[in-house]
Amino acid sequence: MRRDMLSSTNRFTTPRVSTRLLPATLLAATLGLGLAAGPSQAQDETPITVYGVKSLSGSNASYGKYAEMGSKLAVDEMSATLGRQIDYVSIDTEGNAGRAVRKVQEAIAQNGARLFNGATLSSTALAVGKEVNSAGGVFMTPAGADEITGSECNSATFRWSVPTYGAIQQTLVPYIDSHPDAKRFYTITPQYVFGEALLRNAEKVFADKGVEHVGNSYHSLQEQEFSGYLTNAMAANPDVLVLLNFGSQSSNALRQAVNFGLNQQMDIIMVWSSGLEQLQELGNDNIDGIYFGAQYWHEVDTPANRELVKKVKEAYGVTPNYPLAADYTMTKTLLQAVADSGATQGETLIHALEGRTYQGPTGEETIRAADHQVLKDYYLLEGKGAAEMTDASDYADIVSSGQSFLSPAQSGCHL
Amino acid sequence: MNPKLTTPARGDSRPANAIFRRRPAATTLAMLAVVIALPLVVPSATLACEILIFAMAVLGCNLLLGYTGLLSFGQAIFFGSGAYVAALAMIHWQVGLFTALLLAAAAGGLLALLVGALAIRRTGIYFVMLTLALTQMAYFIAYTLSDWTGGDNGLLDVPRPPVAIGGFTLFDLESPLAFYGLVAVLFVFLYLGARRVIDSAFGSTLLAIRENEARAAAVGYDTRHFKILAFALSGAVTGLAGALYAMLLNFAPLSNIELPMSEQILIMTIIGGTGSLFGSLLGAGTIVILGDLLSALWPRWMLLLGVALIAVVMFMRGGLWGGLESLGRRRAGAARKTQEDA
Repeated sequence: MRRDMLSSTNRFTTPRVSTRLLPATLLAATLGLGLAAGPSQAQDETPITVYGVKSLSGSNASYGKYAEMGSKLAVDEMSATLGRQIDYVSIDTEGNAGRAVRKVQEAIAQNGARLFNGATLSSTALAVGKEVNSAGGVFMTPAGADEITGSECNSATFRWSVPTYGAIQQTLVPYIDSHPDAKRFYTITPQYVFGEALLRNAEKVFADKGVEHVGNSYHSLQEQEFSGYLTNAMAANPDVLVLLNFGSQSSNALRQAVNFGLNQQMDIIMVWSSGLEQLQELGNDNIDGIYFGAQYWHEVDTPANRELVKKVKEAYGVTPNYPLAADYTMTKTLLQAVADSGATQGETLIHALEGRTYQGPTGEETIRAADHQVLKDYYLLEGKGAAEMTDASDYADIVSSGQSFLSPAQSGCHL
Repeated sequence: MNPKLTTPARGDSRPANAIFRRRPAATTLAMLAVVIALPLVVPSATLACEILIFAMAVLGCNLLLGYTGLLSFGQAIFFGSGAYVAALAMIHWQVGLFTALLLAAAAGGLLALLVGALAIRRTGIYFVMLTLALTQMAYFIAYTLSDWTGGDNGLLDVPRPPVAIGGFTLFDLESPLAFYGLVAVLFVFLYLGARRVIDSAFGSTLLAIRENEARAAAVGYDTRHFKILAFALSGAVTGLAGALYAMLLNFAPLSNIELPMSEQILIMTIIGGTGSLFGSLLGAGTIVILGDLLSALWPRWMLLLGVALIAVVMFMRGGLWGGLESLGRRRAGAARKTQEDA
């Protein structure tokens, strides 16, 4: 397992949330007034309110649904563990960063909200982080933009997911090390900040490992038809096709590559997958023998993950996926820090989170104080055919895992 | 100018105009009442701000669609550019509130002038396609210039400067209610300004163009110039709305300049009532509040908005304002009949 010095980010989904439950909102308002009026120390009998910024409606509703399930599970669990009333209020981003920010402003001003988590869309996470920071609150997000714990970092924002540097290091490096015959790599990249960051990191790995980057195809963020790019890739005759896009674009690119028979001619690596949910959607025919980078995998053999899988199956009857695990872990960590520090906002709570080490689903996870990046494993998976599956969720094997993060100085964070 | 040209020829979207013309003071008072009551009746002043800001953008769209008959998908260009120009001017040049707003209006107006000058060379579906294409171009320009616009991450740290004169701060706008006060004052001025425009000879000519462009041209009006000017006015108002939206959020997301933003503004205009300034307020308020309420109930709430739009188009062709006006007319008719029977 590698442990370079580093940190980064990731991104892909869009959050949307719903502000339902009027009683919960009123309760939150009551708490908020209390918080606004007095010091930040929460009394044991005072309810804690956590606000989940989730994409519950709109184009990323399926992601938000699982994220919401994760947060609610953590709230229920921590209520029982701490013996305190913990309320959960969801804020639907509607898949729209502007709408999300307005609703968060509303929660801060009307309800005195200070504890937030969620927002998987990077634009939403960046803007929400700024708002929460201005209000003296705390915000944990799984969003992927490097800037969250890089140039746009702030003292209120913490990020659970591994950024682009770690994703590239933990997928391409182990693959190249284990496939010495693979010398020619072709990349397909979405042309915007996130895609460029992945490409920049990939090019560095190619140079360091002495393999040839035989070509790259850029596509727009709205592209869904990849046959032209795949034809270019075939013409370059690479040993490996590296997909640097994510979400529906990576799914469509992979489906079309398999339709073209590229998986028979070369290895394919999808650096930034969304894990089980995406593999289920793609199906065995499209994932057999394909490599995937992932933030979380339900078969990781750690005590906390075994416990999480068991709880999720009991509560929801499903296997946990990345959004569920991410939001569960963030919510639980936030609440544990509240319980330990007795604070529901401000410096005391931030200090309680900084440097915290806990048992997370990926093993021992540490929140780095210098940039608020959680140091955790990233995984390289290999997809399976239907005949190899041992249960309904056994879509892939873990090939390797490890941690790679840029140092805070390298990522540009100055807290 | 031939006054007959300002008279509606058909009864579809005209009822709103009719009452608007008959009782302008009443609708202005109604608008003032809504603006004053809004922060008291909606859950927060922040939500009230969003409603009024979008009502401004709809006002701008109404000048084109409702009064000139131009269905433009270019509104996002003006909204987004207003947001970016104001934000960048405040961030890099540290300009004050009113300078930023003026720059946003100027940018929106100038871009609208260019878009209009190009798009009105074609009519009908080709005009619409040109505005669509130009919006896509603007989106990709903003997306590509990520060093300036923040690209997909959006432009962060947009300030909300105080109301200041000569370096002396009169009002701080940090509180949502104070910012609502500014937005409300600007909206009232824009509303009254739009009324002046609509009631002027220029406005009458726009209506004439909407009703029958060939006839308006035949009586001697250079309809192209009028349409370009309508575009510029619409762009300036929409740019101003975009700047206020960026100040509200302290952030200018890329979605401001995306096609869905144009669609949203158009839907608000149609639901509120094309050709009705008060309808702009109704349309923006309905969509923003419905979005807030419905998204809490059902993840696929946008489907319900689609149904609402179909219902309005099929059964209330004057939009909500036209529906209200029609209801009022029916009740007045029924009351008259009762009196006659008695």
